[in-house]
Amino acid sequence: MTLLARSAPKESDRELLVAVASGNRRALEELYLAYHRRLARFLARFTPAYENIEEIINDTFMVVWQSAKDFRNASQVSTWIIGIAYRTALKSIRRQKNHAGAANLDDCPEPTFDPTVDTEMHDWLNHGLNRLPTEQRLTLELAYHMGHSLEEIAAITDCPVGTVKARMFHAREKLRQYLPGLGGSGPLPERAG
Amino acid sequence: MSKHRSFQEAPEHEEIAMLIPWYVNNTLSDRDRSKVDVHLCSCAACRDDLMLERRVHQGMIVDCPVEYMPAASLNRLRDMLDGKSEGRGQQAVIEPERWGRRLRRWQWLAAASFILMAAAVGLLAAGRWMQGSSRLAAPVFYTVTNPAPHPRDEVVRAVFSPTITLVELQSLLDEAQLRIISGPSEAGVYSLAARSDMPVGTSLALLRRHPAVRFAEGTALSDLPPEPGRAR
Repeated sequence: MTLLARSAPKESDRELLVAVASGNRRALEELYLAYHRRLARFLARFTPAYENIEEIINDTFMVVWQSAKDFRNASQVSTWIIGIAYRTALKSIRRQKNHAGAANLDDCPEPTFDPTVDTEMHDWLNHGLNRLPTEQRLTLELAYHMGHSLEEIAAITDCPVGTVKARMFHAREKLRQYLPGLGGSGPLPERAG
Repeated sequence: MSKHRSFQEAPEHEEIAMLIPWYVNNTLSDRDRSKVDVHLCSCAACRDDLMLERRVHQGMIVDCPVEYMPAASLNRLRDMLDGKSEGRGQQAVIEPERWGRRLRRWQWLAAASFILMAAAVGLLAAGRWMQGSSRLAAPVFYTVTNPAPHPRDEVVRAVFSPTITLVELQSLLDEAQLRIISGPSEAGVYSLAARSDMPVGTSLALLRRHPAVRFAEGTALSDLPPEPGRAR
């Protein structure tokens, strides 16, 4: 499990959320500061502008503020918050795609990376990731970038575990077709829906 | 994705292959992890898969070195909360209040609509009543020769052709030493007063001579000369 996925102490998150449910804005701000970095880095992989990232995070925390009383401890607070961010991001990404029309997904930002990592591999990887359907890419990112478990991803995406496995399976397959370095023969002609 | 080696091994192979991403990110339960470990010992295809997935994972786990500073966006969240705090607080309590406000707004609108409708009906009824009473009462009209309602100083009533220009009218009135003191009425009648000592009869004669004057009549009958062709 990565640090990203496990950085927030579970109990203090729960206490903060209880305080938020009772209308404590200070608690909301603490939660916000605790999750901002993690969410921003996750969202930066999908959306080019910081304004969009900020909008998604703020919309997420507006939902947290309004729905904290509905949290039933069925999952970890982090899973719940990231689930809200996931749905908010999904809406935002779809809206952007609609606005962009047939805009090429290559226009998506290439995340900044460590120069010590193999550059060619990184380029191909980002190229391939940008061509995955949104849900498949988000599943991959939640697992590999955010370090979430299968069950957590199911909770975050509000899908059965089987659906998460299937999305991951198809994402990996497509990625391999796209990445010569991973055994594929070249780019896919069309981005699958 | 790797292919299973035999029909018997297929179900387990498929199941394990599906778990490899979470084996890679180290989030599998101990039980599942052990299953994968055992399977990997005997499945070269899954070992290849595992190697490839580790590369993808390595490529994706790289963190962005850009630090996002949350202070500014937190301020914007505060603004959003202030903007919406009126509708928030304890949602369970506030929601009915919000509905109550909406309901009251609708009530106001309904009341305003009712008042408007009542006023319209009232006006309609008053109009009808006035029409009805006007039929019964004495007719509210007068003729140009009716001596009763004419303004003070009025000496002549006249009707001009609608084609007369302002300059022509002004010139005619100057010549007849008259001035407009009221009019035109609904029937196009002007009330004219004398501007000098010129006898009213002379003024009238000047008016009647002009082709744009349809009608001219003195209101002080005793001062008037007889209309041409009419015996006094």
